Amino acid sequence: MSDSHGQRSRPPEEAPEAPPADMRLPTGPNRATETGRDGALPAWRRMLRRIRLVELASAVILLLFVAAAVAPGLLAPGSPLAVNPVDAFQPPSWAHPFGTDESGRDVYTRVVHGARPSLLIGVAATAIGLVLALVLGAAAGLGPRWLDFTAGRVTEVFFAFPGILLALLLIALTGPSPVVATIAVGLSVAPGYARIIGGEFRRVRQAGYVEAAVLLGHGWWRRFTGHILPNALGSVFVLATLGLGQTIVWASALSFLGLGTPPPAAEWGAMLAAGRTYLEVAPWLTIAPGTAIVLAATAATLLGRSLEQRVRES
Amino acid sequence: MTRLDDGTSGIGAASDTTTHASRRLLRVQSSPSRHRPLRRAAVGATAIGALLLAACSGGTGTGSEAEGPVEGGTLVYASGDAEPTCLDPHVGGNYPQALVATQYLEQLTALDENREPVPWLAESWELAEDGLALDVTVRDDVTFTDGTPLTSEAVAANIAHLQDPETGSSTGYLALEKVEDVEEVDERTARIHLSEPDSALLENLAMPWLAIQSPAALERGMEENCAAPVGTGPFTVSEWNRQESIVLERNEEYTSPDPAAENTGPARLERIEWRFIPEAATRYSALASGEVHVIDNAQPDAISRAAEDDAIAHIDAPRPGASNRIELNAGQAPFDDDRVRTAFIRAAAVDEGIESLFFGTAERSYSALSSIERHVHADPAPFGTDLEEAAALLDEAGWTAGDDGVRTKDGERLTLRFPVSTNQSIPAEISLFEQIQAAVAEAGFDVQIQQLDLASWYEALAKNEYELVSAPYTRTGPDVLRVLYHSDGIEPAPSGYFANHAQLDDPQLDELLDEAARTEDETERGQLYRQAQEIILGGHYILPLYDQQNHFLHRAGLHGVRTLAVSTPTFVDAWLED
Amino acid sequence: MLGAVFVLWAAATITFFAVRAVPGDPAETIIGGPGSQAGEEALAAARAEYGLDLPLWEQYLRYLGGLLSGDLGTSYALRAPVTEVIGEQLPGTLALALTALLLGWALALLLVRQAARGGRVSRVLGTIMEVTAAALPHFWLGAVLILVFATTLGWLPSVSTPDLPGLILPALTLAIPLAGFLGQVMRESADDALASTFALSARARGESPAGLFWRHVLRHAVLPAASLSGWAFGTLISGAVIVETLFARPGLGRTLFLAVQGRDVPVVTGTVLVVALAYVLITFAGDLLEMLVDPRRRRV
Repeated sequence: MSDSHGQRSRPPEEAPEAPPADMRLPTGPNRATETGRDGALPAWRRMLRRIRLVELASAVILLLFVAAAVAPGLLAPGSPLAVNPVDAFQPPSWAHPFGTDESGRDVYTRVVHGARPSLLIGVAATAIGLVLALVLGAAAGLGPRWLDFTAGRVTEVFFAFPGILLALLLIALTGPSPVVATIAVGLSVAPGYARIIGGEFRRVRQAGYVEAAVLLGHGWWRRFTGHILPNALGSVFVLATLGLGQTIVWASALSFLGLGTPPPAAEWGAMLAAGRTYLEVAPWLTIAPGTAIVLAATAATLLGRSLEQRVRES
Repeated sequence: MTRLDDGTSGIGAASDTTTHASRRLLRVQSSPSRHRPLRRAAVGATAIGALLLAACSGGTGTGSEAEGPVEGGTLVYASGDAEPTCLDPHVGGNYPQALVATQYLEQLTALDENREPVPWLAESWELAEDGLALDVTVRDDVTFTDGTPLTSEAVAANIAHLQDPETGSSTGYLALEKVEDVEEVDERTARIHLSEPDSALLENLAMPWLAIQSPAALERGMEENCAAPVGTGPFTVSEWNRQESIVLERNEEYTSPDPAAENTGPARLERIEWRFIPEAATRYSALASGEVHVIDNAQPDAISRAAEDDAIAHIDAPRPGASNRIELNAGQAPFDDDRVRTAFIRAAAVDEGIESLFFGTAERSYSALSSIERHVHADPAPFGTDLEEAAALLDEAGWTAGDDGVRTKDGERLTLRFPVSTNQSIPAEISLFEQIQAAVAEAGFDVQIQQLDLASWYEALAKNEYELVSAPYTRTGPDVLRVLYHSDGIEPAPSGYFANHAQLDDPQLDELLDEAARTEDETERGQLYRQAQEIILGGHYILPLYDQQNHFLHRAGLHGVRTLAVSTPTFVDAWLED
Repeated sequence: MLGAVFVLWAAATITFFAVRAVPGDPAETIIGGPGSQAGEEALAAARAEYGLDLPLWEQYLRYLGGLLSGDLGTSYALRAPVTEVIGEQLPGTLALALTALLLGWALALLLVRQAARGGRVSRVLGTIMEVTAAALPHFWLGAVLILVFATTLGWLPSVSTPDLPGLILPALTLAIPLAGFLGQVMRESADDALASTFALSARARGESPAGLFWRHVLRHAVLPAASLSGWAFGTLISGAVIVETLFARPGLGRTLFLAVQGRDVPVVTGTVLVVALAYVLITFAGDLLEMLVDPRRRRV
């Protein structure tokens, strides 16, 4: 039923009325595929054959970023903070592949060293947002009535705030720092996530298999972890991967307002905000960190999507 | 005739700060200035003031300079400063207010090319022998735009308004500290009684924050007066669309141009649309595409680009008062130790950074005062850089090198907190601070730059949570030194504000500054200020960077823009080519 | 209804106390902004005039009392009634946000449609475009749009004007990242729908791909995105803070930013209330839309 290259065909699911329930659950290796064309090949060959170019490219890019985050010194031995005013605003060259910035710092080195704080902001802020959203969504969608009510109201109030206001207030209260920026961004994306996840929970809850689980007398926690969460995971996945780029960008918006990661730290968002002043004189200042953000976000999204698809298909 | 910089000066032409301060009053820039001699409009024979004149760059087409000024038209001005919350510069008193108020309010005095006070709304004045009373006689042919005549009563009402705590004046209030009361001698003469002689008073009266407004209008109450102050200026406030623009209409009955004006009657422009465009790149883009005629707060990269554009001209009008400098908080450790301050200055190399970050548009300063001020004393000697000497000084002071490169003493790290206001420091300046941070790290200083909004920034200063700070201060005359470095300035105002950020507490300096403020003889006054500046510079309390940058860019088709006492532009002479 | 009132109350309360907790003295804002050198008398006068000398709880109760009678208080910095300040700024921001919302939707649909038409390559390309769009910071995108369309081509004004041409660049700046996000969310459902049995059966009935997309797939795709409209509006307000600064456009976003910076409590709380109200209304509209599109929801 699913061809070896995992084209769009999928188990027929999602008929408007009653989705055939548990077919999508990742309940271990599905025997069905083994009867397919690849059946005769060893498992690792099957895996390999199924790896697509997109996945490979995404994985390589992400690995590169992770490597940069873990051991930036390997990829760029220089210091990201070493200034050299005489060398300011050098366009890309062999000596400075991404050019130099307004203080003569090497942009390549800064992009590499910026991977750790940037990805940390991206991952941590997204995680904060998602966890908050999951808790609120779960409480609202599945808990007892009073909890549902409370969580519902909290989400609503949360929502009613423009995200940036939360960030502005938090920063005004504590002063700007990367940690505060991360929390602020996490808080400001949480309502959006909560909304999507809440909607997803609602959709899944109405599905036949959950109703069946209710009939079987499963408790809400078991229903949640066993049925609802795995089925809503697709959206969560997309949100998480998208969130990576989005949160870094939101943090850079704070830098634009002068409230983000304090200078001169090498962080993609802050670099982007600082470089915009010289958009016309030195466009490479924004192109390099901007491309890094987009690459990280795109690679994470594409890979995320593929993995999710695979989970569904298997 | 106003002195002009030599015509070959490109952006950042070096002129000798130490000796030719007054020559640099005026820098006219045209583009492309490096290749073509400037064509300048002639300044009227009476031209006075720290003024500049827009040069006409190789304009082609109709309405060239030769054909003379054109009547009418709407000028669009784009300001990068914050929109004032009150258009009456008596209330509070900041630069954005001064910029716009220059168009509709005027002062008793103006400053000439040597920055000496000359009559404006005041026709003449006379100082009593003991220096404790100043008789100011106002002109008899001036009427406020609401029909109220200019009289001695108006002078008294304005000073009372400035001194009324309800007004909440900062700048004006401070400038009138020594004024005890005002007596109306006759219809046109007001006698200002002083608690002690005040040699800075006439200079201070030239500031827009002490502008003379219609007494009848002041009585309307703060809310109304904030929305539309009434003065004697070439324009009147007609509309204020908040966050968007202020519309100024020509004052058809105008009779009181400043002494340097070439135009003697009403302004040539019919209307000014005063817009607020906070983002520098947008502002420049609007100028380049012709949507606006003038922009202020032009950023260094834009100025350097404009130099290549025939259609855009440049005015460099450094603000008076203090230079842009970093102050070292000598009121607490570690900067209470002269050796540590000296070490910091030895380690802080800024010249190359200023050159590259400001694209050659800013010149290094070695003075506490703006280069346009009288009695400015600049001395590069205390500011030489030498890393080895810095290290030796720190060793001597007991700060020993730590494992991570940061020095320590008794377990304390050599940390310097540096709150930076994003409202006051432009990106290039913040980058310069980063470079200083990197430079002094070599000597073992750990500078922590904290970017803060204005309110939090003042809070940090009020709580004494800083070792380094850069705070602009605009005022007319060298008396600004007393405001900034007299030990009285350490005592915070009830709001927590204090001006002496270096927390310089030196009885000898106090005495010099007090004495200078009482001394009317200009030569003697100059000597006192020179000694005062030697103490300030020699004690390594400040690191001067450059003048307070104040660049305007305008369309080459706009002529006759000059700046006044605090380097705000006036459009009384201005006209637009068709 | 009661829920909406609760939301408004809670939003106002949280904002009120949060802004008051921020360092900085509101009395200084009243008399000319931070760094004022005003004397104790002036500060005391300002405090008395605005009731800042009362205990905090009493100020709060007074504020709530004012709210009930439709009085949002008086701005510290602007010395004008908050209702007036917001009334002046709201239309501009609403026009901007709604235009951006519509543009965002249109672009997102276009992207999803385009991607649904082709094979895997076009889907990957579509994803890349969407993710890129979603990862574009407003301040950068806006600056580039100004550079291209205003400075270089001279087609549109760089400074926002009240007329339509002045609205295009700011709205686009907000719409493009939004379209990326909406597109991503929609695509998930669109893919599911395309692969589902009803799509197969529709194809079997001879429905054209275009017809299939517009008549069937779209319905599924729009659902999760529609439920996001209220949220999208919120992010647009956040984006407006930046876009209004960039394009020098008067509006609520800039007002809010300046008010937070100036500790102008009444304006911040008032703005939050208005945004909360708009959110409540738009969510309601989104729910209605959802019900129209999704027959299942009508039963509930």
